[in-house]
Amino acid sequence: MINVLATELLKARRSRVPWVTALAFTVVALVGGLFMFILQDQERARSIGLIGTKASLAGGAADWPTYLSFLAQSTAVGGMIVFGLVEIWTFGREFSQYTVKDLLALPTPRVTIVAAKFTVVAAWCLLLTAQLLVLGLLIGTVLRLPGWSTVQVFSGLLQVGAVALLTVLLTTPVAFAACVGRGYLPGVGVMIAAVFCAQIVAALGYGQYFPWSVPALFSGLAGPDQPSPGTLGVVLVVLVGAAGAAGTALWWRQADHDR
Amino acid sequence: MTAPVIVANGLTKRYGEVVAVDDVSLRIAAGEIYALLGLNGAGKTTAIRMLLGMVRPTGGSVTVLGSEIRPGAHSVWSRVGYLVETPAAYPDLTVTENLTVAARLRGLRGRRQVDDVIERLRLTPYARNRARTLSLGNAQRLGLAKALLHQPELLILDEPANGLDPAGVAEIRDLLHELSRDQGVTVLLSSHILTEVARLATRIGVIHHGRLVREIAAVDLAEHVRQRLSVSARDRVAAEKALRAAGFDAIHSEGDQIVLTDPRAIGEPEAVAGVLVAAGCPPYRLAVEQDDLETFFLRVVEP
Repeated sequence: MINVLATELLKARRSRVPWVTALAFTVVALVGGLFMFILQDQERARSIGLIGTKASLAGGAADWPTYLSFLAQSTAVGGMIVFGLVEIWTFGREFSQYTVKDLLALPTPRVTIVAAKFTVVAAWCLLLTAQLLVLGLLIGTVLRLPGWSTVQVFSGLLQVGAVALLTVLLTTPVAFAACVGRGYLPGVGVMIAAVFCAQIVAALGYGQYFPWSVPALFSGLAGPDQPSPGTLGVVLVVLVGAAGAAGTALWWRQADHDR
Repeated sequence: MTAPVIVANGLTKRYGEVVAVDDVSLRIAAGEIYALLGLNGAGKTTAIRMLLGMVRPTGGSVTVLGSEIRPGAHSVWSRVGYLVETPAAYPDLTVTENLTVAARLRGLRGRRQVDDVIERLRLTPYARNRARTLSLGNAQRLGLAKALLHQPELLILDEPANGLDPAGVAEIRDLLHELSRDQGVTVLLSSHILTEVARLATRIGVIHHGRLVREIAAVDLAEHVRQRLSVSARDRVAAEKALRAAGFDAIHSEGDQIVLTDPRAIGEPEAVAGVLVAAGCPPYRLAVEQDDLETFFLRVVEP
């Protein structure tokens, strides 16, 4: 397993995709910081041209709880896209670059290769989340956001981490789609469908039963009047994650690899 | 007698109504260079993918190096090297890194095997180049290097000469001969180029429309090649008439030539010349010729 992990890490390290995903999460932290800066003093923001003269920004106070909540909500929605792209790239590249045939008749079981890929994806996504948290703390400190409470901030950081973990689990079916469809596009299609349906189902008030809506509900994105996902929601997310991973492994082991 | 390295019994693959491989049975002995020869779409690659466990047969069974090939069987692949269809490599990785990935997946430790195979396949000048910058020929060499990296007992190579220039083709041919002769490596390869296969293989299996229609030992190939007597005369019609009158059978025309496949004509071309001179249309060219290998191949697959 260590050898296979090393090969997956090498493949990831040599591409530009990790840098692109890191940039995406940097932008998320900076945009959150920008909102906080504007909310701190909207007149100041108008005077330096950050918002129009007649515009005003609603969305809470410029403090630590609001900023951390923004980061959690961004992870719920942006994470599904960025983590999904990581998943699609890691699996879909083997098909788009026709390298999968070199992974099919090896002394290393195919399931080990799939497990190594999921491990690298999970580590990659959690590193992105850690980067987001570190940047968030730095930006919040630079902006001198009020409302610091060690317990509250720690709880906010935990919430971001938990949302990221739930979101990573939900991307395994995207990997399955990239494998079955043998390329990037089927994975992208499933990811877009999942994000779209999550919004619709959450808006209809059934988000707690739809796994892809759960991270957003958990982050508070859907608003205070929405039900909490609760244990059932979390269990559904774990089941989806396990099903996606198991389906992918089974497909690699059993399917006809004729292309 | 040692056990066969590859045994396929009644190997069949259907995709709905389409039969890609139809009841193919093979026995390939240790040290053989066996070539699957067929036109594009004949079923060679599907057969090879079934031998490698990538495609599950609809019917029949495969045993490789004594192990039955089924989903999840993987230990046997440490003794097998392969190249399927066009070679692929990770474009962002260098030649060395691509081979390092292959080595790690095969559980090989250290750089020695990677360095050795780079030298053997003459990839040293490109070792630090990213795979995306390689020419088709060098990409093919990299694919072959991956197949040879772990010094396998069995090599399964799908169209190994693809993309190589004539010097590269000769080099790979020599390499495969050397591996077979000096190290007893068994080679199964596929090709659609008969002349290349005839120079390399010890046995040839002709596959057509998914069926193994004929197996020939390379040393017997000459016996299967037909002879014919080709005659050119100024008055072709009169010459042909004279030969028929003299009792020669199996005459037909190819352009301005008269072609006789009658064994008597092939055995006694001077008799044919005598008949034509006596008839007043002497030949200006008379030659006993053989079918070229392509003609032979087309005759086998489309009798």
